[in-house]
Amino acid sequence: MWRPSRRGLLTTAAFGLAGWAGKNSALADLAITTKGKEKPHDVLVTIFLRGGADGLNSVVPYAEDDYYRNRPNLSIAPPSDKRANASARIVDLNGFFGFHPALTPLVPFYREGKLAIVHACGSQDGTRSHFQAMAAVERGLAAEGPGPASGWIARHLASTERTEDSPLRAVAFGGTLPDSLRGAANTVALESLTDFQLQAPEAKRKHYQEALLGLYETGNDEVAHAGQETLAVLDTLHKIDPAQYKPSNQAKYPDTDLGRGLRQTACLIRANLGLEVAALDRGGWDTHYAQGSTVGILSLSLDDLGKSLAAFATDMGTEMSHVTVVVMTEFGRRVAENSGLGTDHGRASFMFLMGGGARGGQIHAHWPGLESHQLDETGDLRVTTDYRDVLAEVLKTRMRNEDLSSVFVNYTPKPVGLVAGI
Amino acid sequence: MKLSRRECLELGALGAAGIAVGGCARVANHFAEHHRDAALPAGEVDETTRLVNRLTFGPRPGDVAAAKKLGQVAYVESLLKPDDKEDLRLQFLLNRLDVFQMDPYETQDIPENEVMRQLQQSAILRATYGQHQLRERMVDFWTNHFNIYGRKGLAAFRKAADETTVIRKHALDTFPNLLKASAHSPAMLIFLDNQGNVAGRPNENYAREIMELHTMGVKSGYTQKDVQEVARCFTGWVVERRFLRHRWAFRFDEELHDNGVKHVLGQTIPAGGGQKDAETVLEILSAHPATAHFISKKICDYFLGTDGDKWLGRTEKTYLATKGDIPAMLRPILTSCELIESPQILKRPFDYLVSALRSLDADTDGGSALQEHLVKMGEPLYQWPMPDGYPTKTSAWTGSMLPRWNFAYALSSGQIGGTGVDWGRLQHDGEAEKMFELTHARRASANDRELVRKVAEEFNQGDDGVVGAGFLCIASPSFQWR
Repeated sequence: MWRPSRRGLLTTAAFGLAGWAGKNSALADLAITTKGKEKPHDVLVTIFLRGGADGLNSVVPYAEDDYYRNRPNLSIAPPSDKRANASARIVDLNGFFGFHPALTPLVPFYREGKLAIVHACGSQDGTRSHFQAMAAVERGLAAEGPGPASGWIARHLASTERTEDSPLRAVAFGGTLPDSLRGAANTVALESLTDFQLQAPEAKRKHYQEALLGLYETGNDEVAHAGQETLAVLDTLHKIDPAQYKPSNQAKYPDTDLGRGLRQTACLIRANLGLEVAALDRGGWDTHYAQGSTVGILSLSLDDLGKSLAAFATDMGTEMSHVTVVVMTEFGRRVAENSGLGTDHGRASFMFLMGGGARGGQIHAHWPGLESHQLDETGDLRVTTDYRDVLAEVLKTRMRNEDLSSVFVNYTPKPVGLVAGI
Repeated sequence: MKLSRRECLELGALGAAGIAVGGCARVANHFAEHHRDAALPAGEVDETTRLVNRLTFGPRPGDVAAAKKLGQVAYVESLLKPDDKEDLRLQFLLNRLDVFQMDPYETQDIPENEVMRQLQQSAILRATYGQHQLRERMVDFWTNHFNIYGRKGLAAFRKAADETTVIRKHALDTFPNLLKASAHSPAMLIFLDNQGNVAGRPNENYAREIMELHTMGVKSGYTQKDVQEVARCFTGWVVERRFLRHRWAFRFDEELHDNGVKHVLGQTIPAGGGQKDAETVLEILSAHPATAHFISKKICDYFLGTDGDKWLGRTEKTYLATKGDIPAMLRPILTSCELIESPQILKRPFDYLVSALRSLDADTDGGSALQEHLVKMGEPLYQWPMPDGYPTKTSAWTGSMLPRWNFAYALSSGQIGGTGVDWGRLQHDGEAEKMFELTHARRASANDRELVRKVAEEFNQGDDGVVGAGFLCIASPSFQWR
């Protein structure tokens, strides 16, 4: 009977990584120290909005006149503007900020204290390049440049590693692994849980998996390690039947990549496979063109985000207290709109925190202001909260990571106060 | 010790004839002794097999023998000077793809999914059957370098023209010609929002990416101000939309152009230049040393992997001396020792899929059933949404091994519609060693023993054994690398 020895795999993997890292300087950066830590902790779900999500039209500072001055075509009517249709107005949150109407599904969570918002946050990377800014954020750095090559989630996983860890500590939904998981062991990228099996006749499946294990366990390169991990995950997932998963509490996930990803995340969490992190992506935020105000690309994206998050939180129900969801992006967008009903790359944007210990119902922002003298030299919202402060607080209080200095190298995170302890 | 491979080859020829391995292998042995980890995975790797693997989408049966007969240098030269004759079977298959026969504007009559299907079909067919494999590799390279996301706006309908008149036409031309063609390509102007880049309210998207991703590379000396000035130069570079004109052709719209004076990278572009403003920008960017560096780095890494930097300096100099002549930049890299000796490079899913089809001499229509496997492996063509193209880092791809195995099984067992392997025609004789040689285009070495053993076990299972045998060879760790 085929049963890959979990410990056997781990030992091979550990040997492999050590041998690998010691000899090649580029890969040495991926070498990560490992220490056993106490659990339990939350499951961390990260949603990366790729392309630079416009914080100003998502969580709108509608009390700022300069918001309307800078965006004659893109701005959204304030909550009190009776000339606009009710569904085309900002939904007030605290008298200064309000949600884009497409985020209405999240309003109850905010009001019930289950959703916290950070605004004017971001990295120190001023290149306004997607790839630099994403790399900085995913590597857990102030800005793209020297520093560990591995991702911040990978380092978190390594610094909390224990021998009894699941082969499926982290999962990414999609065809490729994001940089935040670069260098992480026990991680797979998958498109769909139901498809995640060897597509061979059932009678042959174990035989082939055993044969593959024979081929992959002798190797000592990245592909060999990946193959070994995949086989261990196959063995783990064998125990669940994702096709039969029924969301609880009448939760309705939108039929989008994000909706499907969160639905499968919920399935994995419920299956108790030892999943610690799920990394999801949602593209389409690079709205140089046709961003629109209440109708346009941003509105469609926010609609998907709001409905997907709401469905996930509804589905998880009380179990949401053991899950923390973080929504983030690489940068925000220019305060002034451009000529194509869009916005160019800017600086600060927003983050969402849901579940777990999120001290919801509040917006954490050292608001820098939108008057021209308050913006930076390019005309962008200034970053006043470092994104690492938020992530560090989540890792420390919800993920029980006591070794933050190995995750956020050379950085002392400042308390934000948005997350309550377990 | 720096030896060009040409020198290595000469040394090899001077040395004992009859020894199968030439000068490079001697260098390789030297390497293996001193840096075991840096050399190839232990075991003999046939030089010509490696060469063919590195320069093409993988050897088809007989390719390595043909390259051996030609000699390595002559083989490389033949790849660098492709003629325009194509395989008849390929021409026949391509002729059926409407999107490449029609005017882009007319292709809107075809459903978008069908357009995407045909685009990918063409790429798969050309990579699999194309005679001019180096050009096909460079088409793959430039397609990612000048990446266009087919699912944005109506980009899909314009991509076929971009593919033909930009990427394919200039893949082995000069970089400035390629860049210029791309900048005039409606698909690119639409994808990077230059349609909305007008006087007074510039849209920076194309201006930023042309500097960051297409030419100079990030942090190479340009500033945010330069981005804004370049955007002003490109105002009015739009796509024809007027009635009774050649719709969707490139158009410079004087009315939308910012005719003021601009300053780009320290050079003044005088007022009133019209379309010439951005043409000047293209010249400035093409001639910039940062561009020579950035383009050279990407090309070196593409062929040499982690050893790319060893040829970076020389390739940069060649770029500057030849004004970006692509074959001139490629020649020294392709005849270098490092091409054969550098650490192995992971095949991306497209490479992996095509190399499997080629090694098994599969018949394929390149259609949707096959494309579905590219989706699952993570590289559906023309569907990377960001302008930087699919990642080249190994770590981006190792999370999805299972879809590769599933493709290998589906191919071997004949479960991909429109794609088939005729096991009866291939030379394996039910022997594990021969099956290995068929798929890997070389003899099995000590390191391959486990694979050969498992393949032999499959053959022992009886009639159906060839399916498992082929599956394991294609799914094996060694087949994932080039």
